[in-house]
Amino acid sequence: MDLVVINLIDGLFYGLLLFMLSSGLTLIFSMMGVLNFAHASFYMLGAYFAYQISQYIGFWPGLLFAPILVGIGGALIERYGLRRVHQYGHVPELIFTFGLALLIEELVKFFWGNNLMPYREPEILKFVLFSVGSNAVPAYKIFMIFTSMAIFLALLYVLTRTRIGMIIQAALSFPRTVEALGHNVPLVFMGVFGVGTALAGVAGVLAGPVLGTFPGMAFVLGSIVFVTIVIGGLGSLWGALVASLLLGWLTTFAASSSFAFSTLLEGIGMVRPEDMDESMLRDLWTLTLPQIGPILPYILMILILVLRPYGLFGKRDV
Amino acid sequence: MSTPALELAGLRKSFGRTEIIRGVDLKIAKGERHAVIGPNGAGKSTLFNLITGRFPPTSGTVRLHGHDLTGLAPFEINRMGLSRSFQITNIFPKMTVFENVRCSLLWSHGYRYSFWNMVSRSRDLTEGADRILEQINLTARRDLPAGVLSYAEQRALEIGITIAGGADVIMLDEPTAGMSHSETDYIVDLIRTVTQDKTLVMVEHDMGVVFGLADTISVLVYGEIIASGTPEAVRGDPKVQEAYLGAALEAEH
Amino acid sequence: MTDTTQKDTAIAAGSGITLGRALPWIIVSLFLLVLPWIFGSNSAITIMNQMMITVVFALSYNMLLGQGGMLSFGHAVYMGVGGFMVMHIMNLIEDYSLPVPMPLLPVFGGLFGLGLATIVGSFSTRRAGTVFAMISLGIGELIAACSIIIVAFFGGEEGIKGDRTYGLPVFGVEFLQQKEVYFVIAGWTVLATLLMYLFSRTPVGRMANAVRDNPERAEFLGYSARWVRFYSFCAAGFFAGVAGGLFAINYEILTEQNLNTVQSGVILLIAFLGGVGFFFGPIIGAVVFTLLQSVLSLQSEIWQLYVGALFVATVMFFPGGLAGVLMMHVPAWRLGKLGSLVVPYIKTVIPAMIGILGLAALMELVFHARHAAAGEDEITLFWTTFDGFSVLPWALASIACVGGIWIARATAPGLRAAWHRANTPDRRPAA
Repeated sequence: MDLVVINLIDGLFYGLLLFMLSSGLTLIFSMMGVLNFAHASFYMLGAYFAYQISQYIGFWPGLLFAPILVGIGGALIERYGLRRVHQYGHVPELIFTFGLALLIEELVKFFWGNNLMPYREPEILKFVLFSVGSNAVPAYKIFMIFTSMAIFLALLYVLTRTRIGMIIQAALSFPRTVEALGHNVPLVFMGVFGVGTALAGVAGVLAGPVLGTFPGMAFVLGSIVFVTIVIGGLGSLWGALVASLLLGWLTTFAASSSFAFSTLLEGIGMVRPEDMDESMLRDLWTLTLPQIGPILPYILMILILVLRPYGLFGKRDV
Repeated sequence: MSTPALELAGLRKSFGRTEIIRGVDLKIAKGERHAVIGPNGAGKSTLFNLITGRFPPTSGTVRLHGHDLTGLAPFEINRMGLSRSFQITNIFPKMTVFENVRCSLLWSHGYRYSFWNMVSRSRDLTEGADRILEQINLTARRDLPAGVLSYAEQRALEIGITIAGGADVIMLDEPTAGMSHSETDYIVDLIRTVTQDKTLVMVEHDMGVVFGLADTISVLVYGEIIASGTPEAVRGDPKVQEAYLGAALEAEH
Repeated sequence: MTDTTQKDTAIAAGSGITLGRALPWIIVSLFLLVLPWIFGSNSAITIMNQMMITVVFALSYNMLLGQGGMLSFGHAVYMGVGGFMVMHIMNLIEDYSLPVPMPLLPVFGGLFGLGLATIVGSFSTRRAGTVFAMISLGIGELIAACSIIIVAFFGGEEGIKGDRTYGLPVFGVEFLQQKEVYFVIAGWTVLATLLMYLFSRTPVGRMANAVRDNPERAEFLGYSARWVRFYSFCAAGFFAGVAGGLFAINYEILTEQNLNTVQSGVILLIAFLGGVGFFFGPIIGAVVFTLLQSVLSLQSEIWQLYVGALFVATVMFFPGGLAGVLMMHVPAWRLGKLGSLVVPYIKTVIPAMIGILGLAALMELVFHARHAAAGEDEITLFWTTFDGFSVLPWALASIACVGGIWIARATAPGLRAAWHRANTPDRRPAA
């Protein structure tokens, strides 16, 4: 039971982290029709910028300024890079963001090297908030959970209750009409791209101390974020939330389960071979659920794409 | 009486709660040149899309030479001998003009999905495509990418692609839309020659083109056919005059 | 081989120019035959083998992206699976002394690549665009992850090894040496390239272009866009498998790295760099990339940064890739005015190159300053070793960078004007 509670908390943590990335990605996609392959790279930049800032003026200014820097960088890339490629169509856009992901990873290696950065949570949050059984829950994790929830609520508020949110929602479905009404749609695009990447930056700032700040951190999370918004339905904020939490819990529970496939094989009446090395099914007998945990999201995504191409909550085709 | 080339029975189509096509019955005989006219938003293009399998109808049937087309995909319908053009030019912009036409000949020449024939080896493909280019007057543009042609040339190519496969039922969606007078005359002559001995169904706004080409006319208003018959009969029909033609003819003068 | 030669001459006969069509292929074959005598060193042979394998792989990738409009993020899977199968077959040959000549093995790689592509393609080719890209990414990640789990087949993290010399000797050659393997790979490269070229000329290959441009229109011409994509996809899987087989023969080891998403990304990069719009584009990409990889990686620790920057610049400014840049000059060449571009080019491109080299030198200096171990002040740049913290190299690099780019900017309008002139036909004086 303790383990279940701990897994629920860890899954929530991971799910909300995914959501901070996927919400920005899905917003950018529904606005501009481009799947930003480099989205997780902005998350990585957030972590590195925050680390650099924390070296000079501490963690909290980093939490504030790093996402702003990332957002400005994102907006500039939209303005001078993506907008240029836009004229060639969606596939070149996807290729551009793919190249951008490569380039950002190399730039990070260029400036900070290949090693793990000693980026830590602030002293004030470095304590055990409570324990479930023998498992300690650090305060920082809970802080992160609440911060991401607050961000989600703020996002929801902006999108549904403010004027700029109305314009964004309108520009989603009828960009030309909105432009004809006198709004500067390219500027809105740039803003949305900036905000989306800034959100990814926040995620990076928060996750850096927990998951590690290293050049591969974008790659580790990058395709999972993609998977999340495809499962949730491209362009759907609620879908992104549900899919993020689903994947968060799915991978956490799979990783901590002790289920081995040998029990399944014995269950259907197969006999465990004497000499494992000779058996063709050796790998099936030694397979455990934690081992296949990381690929469950991909299996889920392929099933979704084949059976329901618009995802769980999406209204339009990918 | 022989089976009609195209027969629509009780055809209906709704998008959400809005019914766009509200029960269309129509028979078009073999070799007939038929025009569908009607005011904007009457559902003419939707009707075309239902016949050619682009959208599935909500109810009702479409028969081509007596064969039910329900549930068939556009490519299957095309293989049965029905070919269409589009209101918005729909060609292969990055391929050459010649290549555009040759691709539209492939299926009807029996090449299917073969990967053991070389298209350049086939004399009948090359000659067939060149013959069509001759017909649509684009021989001089043969090796240019289709995307760089002028609008009228692209429309001609569109018609060329549509007729190339040798389908016996040709459907043209506003072939002269957005053209100048001289371009229109050219396209009308073109349509007349290339649809010789074929069944033609077309949607058209230009009354000059309609009355010059069509043997029979149907008037579609709000998803229903209110009149159908020879040009004279339709012209004289009071319902048509009231609903549509009067206004259009007035506007022309 | 005879079969394709016949085909080739037959096509040529069909259009009346026998020699003209076959000539490029003959020249390339002869060139590949004499190449090992020009560059005979072991390292050169290694690079050339790598290059040719990449050519086959990149061309097969372009059957999807360039010819069929399908953006795949998981193409390495087909090469990898083909390679792993060939490796297993090689081991079977060794264990049971089967009388199979080694040069035939890539066929099996191709067949297994084809098999996997048939299964995956049956559902992934239903749609092009983003759906296809996402499914390919998912499958790519899935199989890469499986390659670590299923140890019996993929050999876990160490991968699997084999020995190519146990096959049936061909004319007494046992393929102990790299050079002997070179000819096998060269033969396969020419054959596979020819077959892929011919494929693009078949009805299904032509329709692949049509479906890429406008899938809906293709459907109204009697072709199912989905099946056209499916056939291209299967063919691409076959040739990727052939490339995998060649890889297995050449390196005698395959690991998870041969089929993971990084590898899939690299082949996208190569194909795009070379230019996906032309059949020969990926060949240029493969040759240039392999050269960059093997030469630059010796000179610089941050060569991947340069490649990344080059790639992004290509996508932004030259979406046609290197082949596109080459083909841009065809109109001027037809007009016989290519010569008039030489001087303006020298005036702009040489300073630009100097500027870029200066920038690269600056980056190397920064990198050295940030990451060199304490006390390691020496840096080797452009074959000279000097103190990386003295002022002179920084000043020189800055001057080269700023000066070069400044001159290039100043002469660019001249180049643009010359370009315009070279592409406008001369007006004939009115009679």
